[in-house]
Amino acid sequence: MGKTPSPRGGMMSRSITIEFDGAPHYVPEGITVIQAMWHLGHPMIRGIGCLNGVCGACTITMRSPSQGESRTALACQTMVEDSMSFTFLPPDASKKAITPLSAEVPDEKKLLHFYPETKRCVACQACTTICPQGIDVMGGVRAAINGEISAVAERFTSCVMCGLCSMVCDARIRPHRVGILARRLSVAAHPGSTEQLYVRIDEINTGRYKEEWERVMSS
Amino acid sequence: MLMEKLGMDKIEESKNRVQALRASRKDIKWPLLSEEEKHHLVHQYHPDYKKEAYGEIRIGPNRGEKTVLEVVKLLEGESSIASESISLSAARQVDVLIIGGGGAGATAALSVKEAGASVLMATKLRLGDSNTVMAEGGMQVAISPDDSPIQHFMDSLRGGHMENDRTLLKTLVESGPSVAKWLLDIGVLFDREEDGNLSLRPGGGSSRARLLRCKDYTGLELMRVLKDAVLDEEIEVLEFSPVVELLTDGEGICTGAILKNLDNNKYLTVQAKTVILSTGGMGRLHIQGFPTSNHYGATADGLPIAYRAGAALTLQDTFQYHPTGAVYPEAMAGILVTEAIRSVGAQLVNSNGERFVNEMETRDAVASAVIRECQEGRGVETSSGRRGVWLDMPLVDLLNGEGTLKDRFPNMDRQYSRYKIDISKDPVLVYPTLHYQNGGIKINVDGESTLKGLFVAGEASGGIHGRNRLMGNSLLDIIVYGKRAGRAASLRASETEFRKLTLRHLEEYQKEQKSAGVVPQIVSPILFPDYVNKD
Ligand SMILES: Cc1cc2nc3c(=O)[nH]c(=O)nc-3n(C[C@H](O)[C@H](O)[C@H](O)COP(=O)(O)OP(=O)(O)OC[C@H]3O[C@@H](n4cnc5c(N)ncnc54)[C@H](O)[C@@H]3O)c2cc1C
Ligand code: SF4
Ligand code: SF4
Ligand code: FES
Repeated sequence: MGKTPSPRGGMMSRSITIEFDGAPHYVPEGITVIQAMWHLGHPMIRGIGCLNGVCGACTITMRSPSQGESRTALACQTMVEDSMSFTFLPPDASKKAITPLSAEVPDEKKLLHFYPETKRCVACQACTTICPQGIDVMGGVRAAINGEISAVAERFTSCVMCGLCSMVCDARIRPHRVGILARRLSVAAHPGSTEQLYVRIDEINTGRYKEEWERVMSS
Repeated sequence: MLMEKLGMDKIEESKNRVQALRASRKDIKWPLLSEEEKHHLVHQYHPDYKKEAYGEIRIGPNRGEKTVLEVVKLLEGESSIASESISLSAARQVDVLIIGGGGAGATAALSVKEAGASVLMATKLRLGDSNTVMAEGGMQVAISPDDSPIQHFMDSLRGGHMENDRTLLKTLVESGPSVAKWLLDIGVLFDREEDGNLSLRPGGGSSRARLLRCKDYTGLELMRVLKDAVLDEEIEVLEFSPVVELLTDGEGICTGAILKNLDNNKYLTVQAKTVILSTGGMGRLHIQGFPTSNHYGATADGLPIAYRAGAALTLQDTFQYHPTGAVYPEAMAGILVTEAIRSVGAQLVNSNGERFVNEMETRDAVASAVIRECQEGRGVETSSGRRGVWLDMPLVDLLNGEGTLKDRFPNMDRQYSRYKIDISKDPVLVYPTLHYQNGGIKINVDGESTLKGLFVAGEASGGIHGRNRLMGNSLLDIIVYGKRAGRAASLRASETEFRKLTLRHLEEYQKEQKSAGVVPQIVSPILFPDYVNKD
């Protein structure tokens, strides 16, 4: 196969075999799974978003000679390999609970209040195993059961909300939704640390910069 | 094969030079350019000054002005519904229609909801699939005691080559602290110092440390929370439903929009008292052939539809090329390597292992310097024919202690490690990548365009950032102006009745095309870049 222009400019070469939805295809090496889809003539609309590994739209399950077991990955961040096979996974279908931060429940109880099924976790590890971001998802769920909001928050820092953890959970737990709620709640766990910010807001509201502005705006 | 081998050896050789000279460069402060030197550098090497890449806009409000050829084509393009027969009786009615579900759109939706108006959001992909989710570096807010809104204003003005709309900019910087508070209130987790204070970092072109951020996941954090808040407010969101045309009353007021359902290709007519357009940027137009850091849907859809309906543009001829886009591996080409890595000590070095610019100059200057090095033969060429210079990241750990890179830039570390590159050991190749639309649809401080009833927020708007946006000012922009547009659009809606739905503006535009002898070369908006292999 000759050189073909790559979607991002530049040239690519050498052809390899990949298996997509059960059928073999030839694509140039050195491209991502998403680029391979374009190469094979698929204009992507679903299963694509940021092309940068942070939106979680492009989850696939894949198997490749370089690793034995099948695993999940983000298609925009995965290079094709000779003899690999992959299938796109469905988007996150988990329902988000309505979670007003100001609800009349003590903060450490809020996670289980809004997501009561969380306590049914049987510690099977399926969520951790499937997470394409390598997050200790189960650890996060266990911390949530213990009401340790900040520990949960910390674990989900790099969560791209792909929803795979919730898809594989037999107990129908929604770890990523619990994770983001914990993050939102944990901001309040840093009180008294925004003094500077309040001072500045006050300065602005009371006209501290008025004269300087007049000078700057008329210059 | 032999060629490729030779190429690799050359890269390795150059990389070894970078490693060998690291210690000798480590503590050297590179001087900042004088205004004159910077002017010279930028005019000579920045893509914004490449005359042959520009053309004249022949019709519409900005007739006679220039922009890049790709945008000229878009503006002069043919409506995608030109040959369709679409019913203009409204299938949906709503006070405020929000178009675009990124950071600006989500913020606007929350603000409309708070004001008590009814709101519907339509977006092209899923809610949150946007440029916002990708922001890494942070958001500028003048908080620290040695800083002030004035200082922030001056830095932004200098960065924008003094061409920023000063009223818009003043409102931006003055609103910073209060929107930061709002973000904390809805649960955005910014990084803290040991003592619990908000952590602030320096950014290129800024005289003070004022970047709020969440590791190198600032945009992801913002978008996750905004999205969660939008769902908490039970705001209705139509996903995979891009707008393809705006509607007006035929007398200069925007009254709604036509959406296209991407699943069944059916059109949906929405009547609204006011419309907020927050469709974001244009990286996927690959202006001047540049790779881009932008998301898949960044095709500047808002520009042609607003323009055809009568909204004027401003600074539509200026774009930001982020100095450090990845060059290698090929699969990462165009992806951003955050500027924050330079602000903690990563240096730019050419193929000889020499520095050539102060890494904290404004983006246009740094990008120009990188282009200069490559044009003058001091760049490194990859086997796929791309050129770049080295970004020496291992220095960061050397300067700040081992583990700093992995701790502060987990996203960058993860992305490179997927391709077996260890950023704490090896420098990486970078070249400017098409990153941001500096100009856009002209707005006033309420976010209203020159088309009455059409409000615009975020990257689709223009004026705030002049000719070059300062890093971290866009995240601030989308929150400040998302809120303002939301408030103003709600207020206007409360004083307005539903008005007629017509496409008269389109007919007039077509007449203008004819009489100016403009033959549309493409259909716009384009919605998605065309990457599909046609063989
Ligand atoms: C990689 C990267 C890193 C960045 N880092 C920073 C940073 O550190 N700090 C900073 O301040 N700025 C940064 N920026 C810039 C900043 O993130 C963006 O400019 C900003 O988030 C734009 O927000 P927005 O809401 O205007 O547009 P977006 O967030 O892009 O949202 C636009 C939305 O409109 C939708 N849309 C598009 N067309 C249509 C249509 N026809 N109909 C309906 N919907 C449509 C899109 O799908 C999307 O949801 C970065 C940008 C990128 C790409
Ligand atoms: S998959 Fe469900 S049950 Fe299993 S560990 Fe994760 S949360 Fe617990
Ligand atoms: S925690 Fe769940 S939603 Fe988040 S990235 Fe991992 S699998 Fe996806
Ligand atoms: S497209 Fe966003 S993670 Fe792959």
